[in-house]
Amino acid sequence: MRSPPFMRFRTVLTASILGLAAWGALQAQKPFKEYPAIEYGDFPIPPDATTSHEWTRARLRYPDVAGYPGRTFGDFGFPGYWTMDYPRADRHTLTGVRRLTRIDARSVEQVVSLDGSDDIYNWPMLYGVEVGYWNLPLDQAKQLREYLDRGGFLMVDDFHGTREWDIFMSSLGRVFPDRQWADIPDTDPIFNTLYDARERVQIPGAQFLQTGRTYERDGYQAHWRAMYDDRGRVVVAICHNMDMGDAIEHSDDPHYPENMASNAYRINMNYFVYDLTH
Amino acid sequence: MFEFFFKYPSPVFSKGSFVLLSGWPLWLLFALAAAVAAGLGFLVLKRAAKGHVTGLPAVAIWIMQTALAAILLFMLWHPALSIATLKPQQNIVAVVVDDSASMAQNDEAGGATRKAAAENVLNSGLINALRQKFQVRLYRMTGALDRFDKLEQLTATATSTHIGDGLKQVVADAASLPIGAVVLVSDGADNTGGVDLETIAEIRRQRIPIHTIGFGKEQAERDIELSDVQVPARALPDSRLSAVVSFQQRGFSGQKAKITLKDGGKVLAQQQVTLKNDGVAQSEPVLFSAGTAGVRAVEISIEPLSGEVNAKNNLVTRLVNVDARKPRILYLEGEPRWEFKFLRRAVEDDRTIDLVTMLRTTQNKIYRQGIANADELKDGFPTKVEELFAFDGLIFGSVDAPYLTPSQQTLIKDFVDRRGGGVLFLGGRDALADGGWKQSGDMELLPVVLPDRKNTFVRVGATVELTGAGRDSLITRLEEDPAKNFERWKKLPYVMNFQDPGEPKPGAVVLVDAIPTTGGRVPLLITQNYGRGRTAIFSTGGSWRWQMLQPLADKSHEMFYQQLLRWLVADTPRRVTTSTPKQVISDESHATIRAEVRDRTYLQASDAKTEAHVLGPGGIAETIEMRPDPIEQGVFTADYTTPKPGSYLVEVVATRGTEELGRDTITLRREDGVAENFHTQQNRELLEKLSSETGGRYYKPQDAQRLGTDISYSEAGINIRETLDLWDMPILFLLLIALRAAEWVFRRKWGVI
Repeated sequence: MRSPPFMRFRTVLTASILGLAAWGALQAQKPFKEYPAIEYGDFPIPPDATTSHEWTRARLRYPDVAGYPGRTFGDFGFPGYWTMDYPRADRHTLTGVRRLTRIDARSVEQVVSLDGSDDIYNWPMLYGVEVGYWNLPLDQAKQLREYLDRGGFLMVDDFHGTREWDIFMSSLGRVFPDRQWADIPDTDPIFNTLYDARERVQIPGAQFLQTGRTYERDGYQAHWRAMYDDRGRVVVAICHNMDMGDAIEHSDDPHYPENMASNAYRINMNYFVYDLTH
Repeated sequence: MFEFFFKYPSPVFSKGSFVLLSGWPLWLLFALAAAVAAGLGFLVLKRAAKGHVTGLPAVAIWIMQTALAAILLFMLWHPALSIATLKPQQNIVAVVVDDSASMAQNDEAGGATRKAAAENVLNSGLINALRQKFQVRLYRMTGALDRFDKLEQLTATATSTHIGDGLKQVVADAASLPIGAVVLVSDGADNTGGVDLETIAEIRRQRIPIHTIGFGKEQAERDIELSDVQVPARALPDSRLSAVVSFQQRGFSGQKAKITLKDGGKVLAQQQVTLKNDGVAQSEPVLFSAGTAGVRAVEISIEPLSGEVNAKNNLVTRLVNVDARKPRILYLEGEPRWEFKFLRRAVEDDRTIDLVTMLRTTQNKIYRQGIANADELKDGFPTKVEELFAFDGLIFGSVDAPYLTPSQQTLIKDFVDRRGGGVLFLGGRDALADGGWKQSGDMELLPVVLPDRKNTFVRVGATVELTGAGRDSLITRLEEDPAKNFERWKKLPYVMNFQDPGEPKPGAVVLVDAIPTTGGRVPLLITQNYGRGRTAIFSTGGSWRWQMLQPLADKSHEMFYQQLLRWLVADTPRRVTTSTPKQVISDESHATIRAEVRDRTYLQASDAKTEAHVLGPGGIAETIEMRPDPIEQGVFTADYTTPKPGSYLVEVVATRGTEELGRDTITLRREDGVAENFHTQQNRELLEKLSSETGGRYYKPQDAQRLGTDISYSEAGINIRETLDLWDMPILFLLLIALRAAEWVFRRKWGVI
């Protein structure tokens, strides 16, 4: 017996609404996408890039003081400081995670933005590079705070000297108007989750290969700093006056010192496991 | 009327045995009756052949004449009843009067109290009638059974009614006194719930008939009565508990009533309910928080409605022992993953749960958190009974079964079965079927039959939905209102992975289903009891999105995991577990204390020395040695008589030699003046049953005067056997006349005279 027309319409409508709801829910998590970068234009994508895994490190796509987004070089857009070392450093990092830990890591990173959508909340481990140039507007700063309060973790790296620290802090101050940064003591579990990293060195960027200096600008000494939450957990790991991104990016370069690259890997693994345990 | 037709009162027929005194054989009676019937039949047929009377009139006349002849023959055989009758002036009749407070209810005719009505019945000739034939002993039933002389001594103030205990005492007196019968004057409102079979059997052995006279209305006109409230005897601090409030009402059908739970004046919960039809039992769950550690005396009340005749039966008290203990849960996780992080975060605010975690960060490294000291678990997952059994619950994340040795797997099974712990299995790429648990020794523990295949863990989006059982469960209660709770679960963010757990076993309960975007429905949260403990599967590693994808203020994820883990360990027993059938004893003094004692490996310790130390009101301090139960190993019991109303703290300590096996405390409370407020209607069913079981009879007050005659027929006391003629019963003569008259009328009608 055929259903009356209005019944069929209702069934179709209900199915459509349910389908749209499911589709909409899953769309909250955006798929993998590769962006043009400062250093790499067309980096090869691993064959298993679209395979689902438990974990990956998300890279924060932020507006910067140099004008990204919006600034152009002739016909080309400026990729933004957020793309520094991207995606080579990310792919090396994730390969290291797979080799050195039991984390079920994806082979590729995930680029995320504080765009007001729910996407960023699907990626609780966030990495920000060259944050000495970031420029978070208030709405993005608020979303980053919400992200961190819900359980997200931010690791920032590759910014040097007093000026870049001040720029970094002006945005971080909008995220945490109520908090102060602190130096991470050697006894903090973040230095001991996987490797004993109580003894650390200043990890230089690739410029070290030309200059032999481990520092940039007036950032003579590496600072291992953090923003803590009310429970004493690191929620923002601040790697100032060092460039672990470069160290891992160039870890397959025989000229880059192995001990520096290994140090960077160990710190990164510790931070990742710390995030997954705290 | 009965006696007019049958010559004797009905009890004579129910108690006497039928005999024929003529001495002639019974077969002769039947033979003669048959011969007469045949002869009359022959005559009727002969007349029919001549055409005088034919058809139906002929048959009717034959039947009437045969019946007449049969009755006459029956009377010739001299029928009689043989019955035991109490010897006059040589027997005692015990008149037991209920003197409890419920007899002060004024629901008798004209607004008289039950006590006044009873006095009236006894004074209106019944006592005198009895005294003409017997010695009469008056007893009044208070807490015990007392003798009294004059009805004026009745007060209707006793705080409880124990009919069984009272009758036991009468039966005991009957061993030395010729008690021929008992007259029980009562409303039957017994506070113990009735008369036990043992007492009834003893009365039957003595053949003492108990005649009952019932007072009071059998149904209240306008009343709500709390019939029971079930609350957990023990709870963890801040636990969400459910009080199942059962009640009945009459006269307020369809109206709203408010249930309130209070602790020392502080309102714990309130809930409005719609009253069902008159006399229909109604149960309503009311959720409340256990609060901080200590003993909660929870007062459960239904706000009295306008015109309610008895507001005192709207309030009961229950005790909840909120334990100060902090159960420890060991969580073994096979890989660093988000579920691990967010589960830890979800329960970090829970002051009652101590979560210890072991995380395999690399192939050979384990990261421990929450450990009591640096040495704890340093050698990996426990291999010794004492080490593992120190925990109350276990969680296995994405851990493959072969990671554990066969002996560790056996320990886990014993942990649930013998220790009484809880085990939770989470979904994950190395969990359940994909982790080889199907082949492990712990398969039996699981609430499901795992699938026979791998790749059961998939990274596919799914929403979640409560099942019917999930709607009622406290584990999944995120909202007080069940309908809102159901909707809230449906709105939870999707999980991005789930695992097919297989088929739930009989007895397992599925609380939550996953509804994958690819279609179908998969059980997501399944629980079951196993041995002394319990197990559960939460077949996903993706609930962390309930935290990350919802505003910070939303506590769904925290509440869910806190409630799940509390369920996991709340009932995990300690080495000594004390209990009592009733923590609140109303208007009685007897309490039974039970303790289950286990040794360090949780084997039954029947050889333990177990003592109960009691601290009570007014400085009461006693120590009672508990007896080992002859049937249940490791179980000890003690009977304790509470000397006065108040709260009693009972600490049970079990020792073996110089080793203390454990200790546990429980609180008792004796309340007086409460029991008589409940079940105040006449319990006619109890009184009738008591009479019929003992050979007595139930009387309404207006019929009670007949007792003076009926009571004589008893096989108890000093009796003689009498033979009572039946041949001269008026009914027989009336039948003879009626048969002849009927035949004459019919003959006239049919014209066959």
